[in-house]
Amino acid sequence: MARSLGELEAVIMDRMWSYRRPATVRDVLEDLRAERSIAYTTVMTVMDKLHTKGLLRRELVGKAYLYQAVASKEAYTADLMRDSLARSGNQAATLVHFLERLTPEEAGALEAALQVFPPRGRA
Amino acid sequence: MTAVAVLAAYPVVAAIVLPRLLSGGGWAERAPRLAILLWLAACGSVVVSVLLAAFALAVPASVIGHGLAALFAACAAWLTHGPGMTTTTTGIALAVAGAVAARIVYRAAVVFTRARTERRRHAEMLALLGRHDGLLDAIVVDYDERLAYCLPGRHGKAVITTGALRNLSLEQVAAVLAHEQAHLRGRHHLVLAVAETLATAFPGVPLFERARAELARLIELLADDVAARRHPRVLIATALVGLATGRAPAFALGAGGDTALARVRRMLNPEKPLARRQRLAGSFAIALLLAGPAVVALLPGLSSFLVHHCHRLLGL
Repeated sequence: MARSLGELEAVIMDRMWSYRRPATVRDVLEDLRAERSIAYTTVMTVMDKLHTKGLLRRELVGKAYLYQAVASKEAYTADLMRDSLARSGNQAATLVHFLERLTPEEAGALEAALQVFPPRGRA
Repeated sequence: MTAVAVLAAYPVVAAIVLPRLLSGGGWAERAPRLAILLWLAACGSVVVSVLLAAFALAVPASVIGHGLAALFAACAAWLTHGPGMTTTTTGIALAVAGAVAARIVYRAAVVFTRARTERRRHAEMLALLGRHDGLLDAIVVDYDERLAYCLPGRHGKAVITTGALRNLSLEQVAAVLAHEQAHLRGRHHLVLAVAETLATAFPGVPLFERARAELARLIELLADDVAARRHPRVLIATALVGLATGRAPAFALGAGGDTALARVRRMLNPEKPLARRQRLAGSFAIALLLAGPAVVALLPGLSSFLVHHCHRLLGL
């Protein structure tokens, strides 16, 4: 059963975001075992990697690390989408937006164009 | 010497005249693909003629005229005897060619590696935050702002936010994603990367600056046209408006407004595509731009070759 580490990272981050409280590797493992067979070391490795990437922070409580998401999924998403807008247009070649950001005036001009230029014929 | 003069003068004139020549007439909007090729050919011809001018100055026509063996002999002599063999002009010519080539290679490396690193980082976060929708064949991200974009590369992806999905009809979403797929399949990011490389390698050159702006605009028009083959044009226009309105206001202004307006107009009121004759003229111009410098560079060598080896044939 080949499952990419990337996919497992996504699954574990989703769990961590849904808990909204700190969790140990064991907590996550038991949660995941409800629907798939997975080794403790695998979960530990992935969570350690997520910590290295700066997505999870951890503190030693007793003998085990207690992990917690650094920021909410919404905050990360907002960051990523803002990043996508910043990288489009002026810094060519990274990614391409369907539409660059417009001022309200420019957006208004687009709406007006729909009125001024009634569709001619078929596509 | 005439060839060297022509090859050296051409880039200077072309860098200033070509951008005006190519921008005029409004024909580009009617044939974006042809226009993209023309801009690329124009940039290529300028770079190539600089390199060829240096080459023609460094290697006398008489050497080329005596055939490849003589050329190799000259090279070998130059290599074994070192720079002592070279005249000042040869040295300068080779230095110029080397500097131009090195500058382009260096900037290309910077542009391409930076883009790849940024894309990989973006894709990694996208894998955590988005989910792949098999039906749309796109990554869907939970976000209120209406956005759609493509992340090019080997595993290119189209990305759309839930905000965009909520505000567009299914048909509009399909049209938007077809536009993004056109970018990905057409490898438009490579066009942008080439334009970025030249514009940053030689800042201030009007041709390269203009080419960067025009190419960014033209790939959008081309992607619209490709999407319009399978989706009604009016859907693309209304999708543009649907995504433009109700967005967070812009914090930085690009040239996006004019392009967006032109795209909406062009989708609603398509102009006639170029006539066959005009397309042929465009293709001819591309061929001329690409082959011209090489022909000019080779002519002296060729005539020298004819004089040396075919004098009987020519009755000389």
